[in-house]
Amino acid sequence: MAAQPDPDLDTGQTAAFAVATPAAARRERILLAAAAIAVVLLVLVPLTSTDQAQSAGLPQLVDRYWFRVATTMAMFVVISAAWNLIGGLAGYPAFGNVVYFGIGAYAVAVLVTRYQWSFAAALGASVVVPAAFAGLIGVPLLRLRGHYFAVASLGVAVAVGEVINNLDYFGGASGIFMPIVRSDLLFYYLMLGAALLAVAITWVVLRTRFGYGLIAIREDEGAAAVIGVNTTLYKVAAYALSAALTGLAGGIYAQWNVFVNQDVAFNIDVSIDSILMALIGGIGTIWGPVIGAVVLEFLIQTFAGRGDLAVVTQIGLGLVLTVAVIFLPRGVVDFFGGRSSLTLAYVRRTLRASGV
Amino acid sequence: MNWTEQVVLGLLLGGVYVAVGLGFSLVWGVLNIVNLAYGAMVMIGGYVTWLLFAHAGIDPFIGIPINVAILFGIGYTLQYVVINRVVRAPFLYTFLITFGLDLVIVNALLLVFKADFRSVNTWYSGAAFSVGPVLVPYIRLWSLVVAAALAAVMWWILNRTRTGDAIQAVGADRDAAQLVGISLPRTYALTFGLGAACAGVAGALIVTYQAVTPTAGEPYTLQAFVVVILGGLGRVSATVVGGMLFGLVQVLAQGAPHIGAGYQNAIAFGVLVLVLLLRPQGLLGRTV
Amino acid sequence: MSAAEVLLSLRDVTRRFGGVAALDGVSFDVRTHEILGVIGPNGAGKTTLLNCISGVHRLDGGEITLDGRPLGGLPPHRVARLGVGRTFQIVKPFGSMTVRENAAVGALFGSSDARLPTRRAFAHADEVLALVGLAPKRQLPVASLTVPDRKRLEVARALCTMPRLLLLDEVMAGLNAVEVDEALDMVRAVHASGVTIVLIEHVMPVILGVCERVVVLHLGRHLAEGRPVDVLKDPRVVEAYLGEKYASRHRGD
Repeated sequence: MAAQPDPDLDTGQTAAFAVATPAAARRERILLAAAAIAVVLLVLVPLTSTDQAQSAGLPQLVDRYWFRVATTMAMFVVISAAWNLIGGLAGYPAFGNVVYFGIGAYAVAVLVTRYQWSFAAALGASVVVPAAFAGLIGVPLLRLRGHYFAVASLGVAVAVGEVINNLDYFGGASGIFMPIVRSDLLFYYLMLGAALLAVAITWVVLRTRFGYGLIAIREDEGAAAVIGVNTTLYKVAAYALSAALTGLAGGIYAQWNVFVNQDVAFNIDVSIDSILMALIGGIGTIWGPVIGAVVLEFLIQTFAGRGDLAVVTQIGLGLVLTVAVIFLPRGVVDFFGGRSSLTLAYVRRTLRASGV
Repeated sequence: MNWTEQVVLGLLLGGVYVAVGLGFSLVWGVLNIVNLAYGAMVMIGGYVTWLLFAHAGIDPFIGIPINVAILFGIGYTLQYVVINRVVRAPFLYTFLITFGLDLVIVNALLLVFKADFRSVNTWYSGAAFSVGPVLVPYIRLWSLVVAAALAAVMWWILNRTRTGDAIQAVGADRDAAQLVGISLPRTYALTFGLGAACAGVAGALIVTYQAVTPTAGEPYTLQAFVVVILGGLGRVSATVVGGMLFGLVQVLAQGAPHIGAGYQNAIAFGVLVLVLLLRPQGLLGRTV
Repeated sequence: MSAAEVLLSLRDVTRRFGGVAALDGVSFDVRTHEILGVIGPNGAGKTTLLNCISGVHRLDGGEITLDGRPLGGLPPHRVARLGVGRTFQIVKPFGSMTVRENAAVGALFGSSDARLPTRRAFAHADEVLALVGLAPKRQLPVASLTVPDRKRLEVARALCTMPRLLLLDEVMAGLNAVEVDEALDMVRAVHASGVTIVLIEHVMPVILGVCERVVVLHLGRHLAEGRPVDVLKDPRVVEAYLGEKYASRHRGD
């Protein structure tokens, strides 16, 4: 006899491991097939804009604007999926992850302009340096919980950004200019590759002991500890991994944007947007950050405007955020996994569980 | 600037920080809501005061009660209608919703008032009096007095009234409070309204010596963070200590020889992170 | 009693909170493969005792050794690695996982005998769930379980860690008579599989029904020890539970 679902246990997180019914398994196969097709298209279609394709007579299916938007979407997939590891899986909502974006970006900028490293080698640094930094401050930082952790991580982001802004070694307030590399295609593929990497890593993590351990930490850290999860190690590892991925995005961005300074590289809005994307898509899931990044970036691009219109767009964005948080705390993925459907009853249950 | 001047100015500045911190601390300590729109509410307070002054000639300090009433109403409504929908969810959601509200408020202000800087210049704006070697501007003195009065009023409400009992009960144990008949939605709305009222007062004080513009609110949210974390959550005395201390730190840091003005924020956040790592409950707070 | 028969040994264990000693110089042994009951009125320090053994609290004095190896200062996951499993009085399931996944996490981590690769962890979880009687419900989300079933799951998860010593904290609390019987069967089955059990309980029929020996704690101190039948007749124990007035009235003073 199954009792009524207990609202106290309904943590609002989408189950990472959906109940394996045949219907759900079939749905998952369809989604995977669709994703595979989408990836193939994403890789092949942009090739129509190369010179070889043009001279072969192929129509150019994508233009500069498309490249810019798609690359930005891919970048946010990386940042959002990276946040998902520490904020969604482990349950430690870091609000200052953009600090690793900045460290990665500046690592590339400094190594290329000052020490004549190749871009490829510098990208390696943009992964390692943020991870090392995260490993270092993660140990004391992850001892904090909830609000305190969020605020501390935010504080670190602001502090590091300010310090870099004041040091001439990093170009101070005027920032650093990279040598110009003009290639929509290159940066698109780099970001796409990073995005695929981020999703693949999330997929692997959720299938291994590491992922189960992180979710156990999120659900009940005390219980996780007594059944043998080394909580400190796992948390710091997740934090460092998310830093590495975020740093990679920053490193690619530095060369793509050609210019880095504090405003560009340590922009708190990037952190907030990436969290919002994970939220809309589905925190703690594999595809949530992907869907969220695509949807939100699409909204931002579509409604971006000048002057008064830009202001109205921001208001719209704020309203979208508010509505999403209230009515869709588990994100859109919840409806694809077969767990719920968007009905009035679902909305009412959500409101009753979250509100007062 | 010599030591005494710095200390006095630090204390005067601290008064404003106390006002800034009170509303933030109350809402965080009791409702467990970190209000990222707090700075924007401070700006609303500034604009209300400016409007009253520019269009009705009302002195900024005299206009404070009107300011309080308006901000209380805004805060109460926001909490009752919007934020109450997510207070039982993991705190991430209230964090995000207040961020959304911040976006809406700041941009609504931009739409209405444009990005121009507004300030309030009264006939006594420049005047000061001497206490020994130190020159104390009247504006700063009144600000300190108002901040002290606000702290006293808040303490009185929280510790000497039934409303305050209800608020503290909800903060201590929400479900138990409900069981004894306290209305959660209304108490939450009341608390947030009080927090907003404090933000309004802070805004009124700020606009007398600094220009306001819709986007200038963010630093105040961040400063409120530091004040609360320095002093400790929830208790008026903790916020007073945190505010005064932060004021002193700011002035001393600004005056220090090697540290340029650019490092101000970095110092503030360095302090924040250090306190969080070493003593997260702040100087006066209960153990986290 | 030879040294080889003692699995867990407590000597002078002390733990303070503020100025209050929740445990004050507690000493006793847990013999291999026994079921030891720990009883005492509320506030006696029973849960604190479990917390000290499993590494959640640090000791302020004394020593706890498992098979000769001192446990003092080890973090909870290391204690688990050495083969100590425990349940919590207020159960702590992993809310967004299914029953099967909850148990499997125990096998994925746990003692050095556990730490199984994913597929074997789930297989082991299935076996353990069958042992505790949750097999038919293993694919359900935890949120849909009744209270007795959640307690079973708590035990199952701890058991999946393949412990040598299992600490059960008031597993019977809140169960009706039928559910208690079923839970008793489960405890016996767990014991039969080779695990040493320390059982904190308030429900005396359970203690009498399944424990070979009992330790009585009172206000953080070791009060009495022995067979359940003897201990429950001990006047000091009666006095501790029922108060001095009732005890003296009962004695006929």
